[in-house]
Amino acid sequence: MAIFVILRAAFGYLFLVLMVRVVGRRPGKQLTPFEFVLVFYLGGLTLTGMVGNEASLTNAVTQILTVATCHYGLAALRFRFDNFAQVLDGTPLIVLEKDCWRSETMSRMRIQDDDVMDMARAQGLPSLDRIDMAVLEAFGELTVIPKKHKEEDNHA
Amino acid sequence: MPSQAPTQPIGDSVPKVDNTIAVGENLEFQRKWWKFERVIWSIFLLILIADVLGLFGRGWLSKDTLSDSAQTLTLNYERIERASTPSIMTLHFGPKAIQNGRVRLYVSDSVVKPLGAQRISPQPAVSTIGNDGITYTFDATQIPASIQIALEPSFPGRHSFRIQVIGGAPIESAIFVVP
Repeated sequence: MAIFVILRAAFGYLFLVLMVRVVGRRPGKQLTPFEFVLVFYLGGLTLTGMVGNEASLTNAVTQILTVATCHYGLAALRFRFDNFAQVLDGTPLIVLEKDCWRSETMSRMRIQDDDVMDMARAQGLPSLDRIDMAVLEAFGELTVIPKKHKEEDNHA
Repeated sequence: MPSQAPTQPIGDSVPKVDNTIAVGENLEFQRKWWKFERVIWSIFLLILIADVLGLFGRGWLSKDTLSDSAQTLTLNYERIERASTPSIMTLHFGPKAIQNGRVRLYVSDSVVKPLGAQRISPQPAVSTIGNDGITYTFDATQIPASIQIALEPSFPGRHSFRIQVIGGAPIESAIFVVP
């Protein structure tokens, strides 16, 4: 039945959004091979259930339109409601502030001091004590703000 | 002349830390989300355990056996099945089922349509339609004798069926098909 094709596509998309959100963000600018496996494998497995044994072009077009509509709907809700945007994307989280780690955030987000130091080195900072603040962004990247920037701002 | 693009002054909408760095952290929301994650991971685990046990078909909990009172027919089947997934329904005949070297078996239409009977093994000698189902006639000698019906349900939902050896009591039950 045509309605099942649409329902399967919508469920597959929304379920994947939930899974990717729950599996969590990992610090880093690019996907690691570990995350590549997750993304492609989840996508492939979802595809099996969505398509089933109905491999017509009409089905494909209908399902693509369904996924596009769901995506548009989520994007519109995200734009309109701040609370929904937080649910969908998460919130930025401070992991290092005033020379102290936020231990609860670090352990729950499975971030190690090495991850912060990686990003610090990428910005030319030789040690952790040169960091004013480290933030785990909602999209998964770690932002490191050096102390000297703050001092320069004060001078200015 | 093209009209000017509308603009709006920059507001201080993102909360700042120490009044200097705009981060917009919402730790209160994040703590609620961590609680939600703990609950959802528990639910994922329960779903996997239920799946292994057969609550969604193809496992211990899904298998069932039914007989009529005179043991003319015993049915081994899966009471929970998955859509578009093959399964086997096995029918064992008792001694009273074989009459004049033949077994006559009535199967309701629901076994063929929503439950998607793909084939019957062995093939019946005669198939007769009517009475909201099909009556198959098999040549038979003596027990033990059994046939298998390969099912592949198309639609999710609860599908009732009726199977009966002609001359015996009917077996009525239902199969729940999960998507």
